[in-house]
Amino acid sequence: MSEFALQLVDVRKRFGDSEIIRGLNLNVRPGEIHAVIGPNGAGKSTVFNLISGMFAPDSGSILMNGQSIFGLPPHLIARKGLARSFQITNVFPQLSVFENIRIACMRRSGYYFSLLRSVAGLRGITSEVEEWVKNVHLEPVMHKLAGLLTYSEQRALEIAMTVASGADIILLDEPMAGMSRDETANAIELVRNIAKGRTVLVIEHDMDVVFALSDRISVLVYGEIIVSDVPANVRGNARVQEAYLGSEAN
Amino acid sequence: MKARYLIWLLAAAALMLVPLVSTTSFQHALVQAIIFAIFAASFNLASGAGGMLSFGHSAFLALGAFATLHVMRGTESGANSVPTVLLPIVGGVIGLVVGLVVGYFATLRSGVYFSMLTLAFAELFHQLAPNLSFLFGGETGLSSIRMPSLGLSFATDLHVYYLVLAWGAICLSLLWFYMQTPFGRLTLAVRENEQRLRFLGFNIHTTKIIIFATSSSIAGVAGGLLAISNESANYELFSMTYSANVLLYTFIGGAGFFLGAPLGAAILVLTAFAVTNMTHIWLLYQGLLFVLLMMFAPRGFGGIIARNIELYREGRLRSLVVPYLLALVPGVGMLALVIFVCEALSAFLSREYAAKRVVSGGSFVPAEFLGTHWDPSSWVTWTLPAALALVCWLTLPPAIRRIRTLLSPHV
Repeated sequence: MSEFALQLVDVRKRFGDSEIIRGLNLNVRPGEIHAVIGPNGAGKSTVFNLISGMFAPDSGSILMNGQSIFGLPPHLIARKGLARSFQITNVFPQLSVFENIRIACMRRSGYYFSLLRSVAGLRGITSEVEEWVKNVHLEPVMHKLAGLLTYSEQRALEIAMTVASGADIILLDEPMAGMSRDETANAIELVRNIAKGRTVLVIEHDMDVVFALSDRISVLVYGEIIVSDVPANVRGNARVQEAYLGSEAN
Repeated sequence: MKARYLIWLLAAAALMLVPLVSTTSFQHALVQAIIFAIFAASFNLASGAGGMLSFGHSAFLALGAFATLHVMRGTESGANSVPTVLLPIVGGVIGLVVGLVVGYFATLRSGVYFSMLTLAFAELFHQLAPNLSFLFGGETGLSSIRMPSLGLSFATDLHVYYLVLAWGAICLSLLWFYMQTPFGRLTLAVRENEQRLRFLGFNIHTTKIIIFATSSSIAGVAGGLLAISNESANYELFSMTYSANVLLYTFIGGAGFFLGAPLGAAILVLTAFAVTNMTHIWLLYQGLLFVLLMMFAPRGFGGIIARNIELYREGRLRSLVVPYLLALVPGVGMLALVIFVCEALSAFLSREYAAKRVVSGGSFVPAEFLGTHWDPSSWVTWTLPAALALVCWLTLPPAIRRIRTLLSPHV
C-alpha cells in the first residue's frame, strides 16, 4: 500500500497556447477529506478532469494507491475505484431516482453485459439501492424521474451515485454549490458520512464549509498548488492570504 | 389486473383467428404488417431505448433478406437443408455480424454524426448492390421458393402468416426481456447520459456496439421473414425509403413505448393496404399524419393511449367521454375536408386532367376522384368543402375548450 491515495507529480496541461496546470504537485492521504480551494480560473475543475481521465495530462505523473493512472480512459480509472461527481448536475434525467442509483451499483456487482436475468430479481442490488436512497434522504422521491427533482435533491442523488459505484476515492466538484444554508448543513453531514473509510477530494467555494469539513486543504493558484496543509496553517499562511483570502483577512 | 390479461388474451386470439377468415391479399398484408412491426421494434431498441438514431436500418433488413434467399436457393438445389421455419435465424446471424462491424465504427460517434454514418453505410450498399450480382442478383435481385417444413407446405400465405406470427412473438418477447435485464437498463442510461456512465466505469463504446448489433440482428430476422414471404428481394430494399419508413412507424407509434413502434408499423402498413385502391397519394396522408402527431402528440399513438389509461386510473376518463364524442364531429369533418381538398387538387392538377382539357378544347371537364365525377366549374363541387369547413369552424373550438378544461390539472 502506498503512502498516498492520490499523488500528482509535476502535472502539466495546456489548452492551445495557455498552460492551465503548471507543474502541479498534490498528495492526498488515504482516509482524509482533502479540499482544493483557489480563485476562479485557478484550474480546480481541470485538476479533477485530469485525475478522473476526462482529459489526458501533457506530462507529469498521476498515481492512485501507488499505481499510475496517467492517460487511462475514464471508465478504467473508475474501475480502479475512483469516482467523481460533477459541478453541473449530471444524472440520468428520464430515469427514476431508484434506477439512477441502481445503474451506479450494477457494474461493481458484476452486472454489466448481463442479459440473462431480470434486473428486478437482483435482490442484493435492490436492497443496496434502497440503502443508498435512505442514506441521502431521497425515499419520498425514490420513484420520481431524476430530472424532476429539486436542485439539492439532484445534488444528493449525484453524490449517492458517485459513492454507490463502489469507489474508495471520491472526487466531489462543488457539492454544495447553489444550496441553501439548511441544505448545506445536510450536505456537510452527508459528505462526512461517506468519508468514513473512504478518501474524499473536494472542490468547494464556501470557506465555512471548507474549514469545517476538511482534514487538509490545498490552495491552487494559477495552475500550481502553493500550500497544502491543515486548515489552521492554511488560514494563517501569508501567501494564501495574498493570493486568495486577501480581502477577507483584512 | 384482470382486464389487462383479458386484453392480451383477446389480442392473441384476434391475431390467431383473423387470418382464417381473411382474403389472401389481406393475409399477405398482415404478414407484411408483422414483418415491419418486428423491423420497427428492432429500430426502436437502438433509437428509442439506446438513443442511437440509425438512418440506415434498411441495410440490415436487406442483408437479412439476401442471406436468407441464398440459403433458400441452396436448399432448392440440394446444397443444404435448412428448414423453412428456422430460416430467419440466418437473417439474424448476418444482421448480428454486420451490425458488430458497422456498429464498431458508427458508434465511435454520437448524435447526428452517428446517424450520418449509418446513412452512408446503407447508401454504400444501395449503390454497390446492383453491381455485385453474385451477392445481390444485380438489378433484378434474387428469388427462390419456400420448401415445406414441419409438415406445413408453406404454399399459402396462411402458413407464412403463422410462421411470421411465431417469429414476431419470439422477437418481441426477446426484446421485452432484454429491456428487463441489467443491460437493458444500461441501454436506457446510454440514451440519457453517456458521460455519466463512463465515469461510473462503463465502457460506452463496447456497450453501444452490443446495443446496435442486437438491434440489427432483429432487423435481420425481419429481413429473413421478408425473404420467406416474398420469395424474392432486390437491391431497392437497401434504399433510404425503408429506413425512413421505419423511422415514421416508430415515431407515429411512439418511440417511448415498448409496443409503440410495432403498433405504428402495423397501423400504417395495414392502412396503406386498405386505401391502396382508393387513392394514389397515401404517402401524402402518411406525411400529414406524422406532422400532426409531432406537433400535437409528440409521444405518438402510444402517448395518446398511455395518457388515456392514466386518466382512466385517475377516474377522469368518464367525464371526457362526451367531449371526445363532441370532438368527433369536427374531427371527422376535418378529415373529410383534408381528403377532399387533397384528392381534388391531385385530380385537377394532374397531367391526365390537363391532357383531357386540351382534348376538350380547354374547357373544364369533370374529373373522377373519391368514386365519382366532379366538375371544377360547378358550384356543387366547392359547396361540399365549404360546408365541411364551416362545420369544423363552428364545432372545433368549443370541443377543444371542453377537453382542455377537463384535462387541466387544476380541475
